[in-house]
Amino acid sequence: MTNEDIKLIKDGKRLDGRKFDELREIKIEVGVLKRAVGSAYIEWGKNKVMAGVYGPRELHPKYLRDPTKAHLRCVYNLAPFSVEDRKRPGPDRRSVEISKVSSDALNSVVMLEKYPNTGIDVFIEILQADAGTRCVGLTAASVALADAGIPMRDMVSSCAVGKVSGEIVLDLMKEEDNLGECDLPLAIIPRKKEVVLLQMDGKLTKDEFKKAYELAVNGAMKVYEMQKEALVSSINNVMIEE
Amino acid sequence: MEKDNAGEFMLYVQDRELVIPGQLIGEKIRHDINCFHEGDSVFSSIHGIARVENDRVRVIPSAGWYVPKEGDVVIGVVTNILPGRWAVDIRSPYLCTLRGEEVTRDPLSVDLSRYFKVGDIISAKISMVDEVHSCQTTGPWKLEKGIIIDVNPKRVPRVVGKKRSMLNIIKEKTGCKIVVGQNGWIWIKDKQTELVIKTIKKVEREAQTHGLTDRITGMLDKTLGK
Repeated sequence: MTNEDIKLIKDGKRLDGRKFDELREIKIEVGVLKRAVGSAYIEWGKNKVMAGVYGPRELHPKYLRDPTKAHLRCVYNLAPFSVEDRKRPGPDRRSVEISKVSSDALNSVVMLEKYPNTGIDVFIEILQADAGTRCVGLTAASVALADAGIPMRDMVSSCAVGKVSGEIVLDLMKEEDNLGECDLPLAIIPRKKEVVLLQMDGKLTKDEFKKAYELAVNGAMKVYEMQKEALVSSINNVMIEE
Repeated sequence: MEKDNAGEFMLYVQDRELVIPGQLIGEKIRHDINCFHEGDSVFSSIHGIARVENDRVRVIPSAGWYVPKEGDVVIGVVTNILPGRWAVDIRSPYLCTLRGEEVTRDPLSVDLSRYFKVGDIISAKISMVDEVHSCQTTGPWKLEKGIIIDVNPKRVPRVVGKKRSMLNIIKEKTGCKIVVGQNGWIWIKDKQTELVIKTIKKVEREAQTHGLTDRITGMLDKTLGK
């Protein structure tokens, strides 16, 4: 274990040469799925994630219909080929949990009362996984919701932070996630910096947690800028065409 | 009164600037569709283009589903025959019905499929929308033959144009019969169908650009060889 610890951080730099507070490279594309109302594709380091939004549409089963608001469902799915060892397809304990926390996070920003008696379906498909997929999925899902023209109070921006070899570092990659001491995914509403998702796997002291939280919020704000840029350029591209 | 207010409001976006959900648009400013306020601050609730007129701001969405509105003329497809009425699909997530009284005095005892069968295309006006956006239509008109095309419902105002200018240009130049539904379905029949589809799709794609009318006129003239 100690040997691996030394490898993770060398001369104040991480395995892939990043600083402690540096994000991986992020690329966001908007409107990639033709048949979806809104969609987004995001490449975040080695993560490749596709998100699609369908609806508002007629909701089935009927008993879920609520005459005061829409019902938002989020489905997180890890593709069988997305990880090194083949993942058994279908929902499992982990996917169901992430689906639940993601839909809770999105529920807090979407103005559901505008579409009574309907359902909004959000699908997050992980095509290639490399740690922090729930943050990537949530980021993509919020861009897809905006692209679908669904009214929201704000975007959701998300970023993970963790503890590796005793250092608090931003945006863990796979090796750091597997061998590190702690992983803390965080999603915020950028305007008010309200937390909509926070989970922690591992242990942190109170001071470490405060530092980690600050770092994650700063990371999420950087992600927010990229989301904004992607959405704005999606309309601009349409205008420039031809 | 106006002078007092004029100096007070603050704007953080320009006219025709692109905004995303949750973006701050201004302070102490009057706001219209697709905006919301918290305290004095006004935010956009949707991804689209901000339009500023004097001290009023609104956001035009770039995409979205059709939500029925009273007085809209829509194009629908009859999907079901219910007791005394028809269910009509108007490309929105909500139930839309057409009352049998619109065409006959005693809708419960006659066979309604005499008038409209399942699968028939009709144009009708929305006469009533309730709290959960279910709606009733009036004044049905059967559209025989022809085809329906699909455009983004939020771009329909551009396809129609100011005082129907764009639509009239397309109609006059091609001699085609067109009925535009506010729900994003457009019914086309007769001459130059393919050209009309191409033109309407172009209008939809470039809805936000300047000088579109001139370009459309030019394109139609060129293709028709005038």
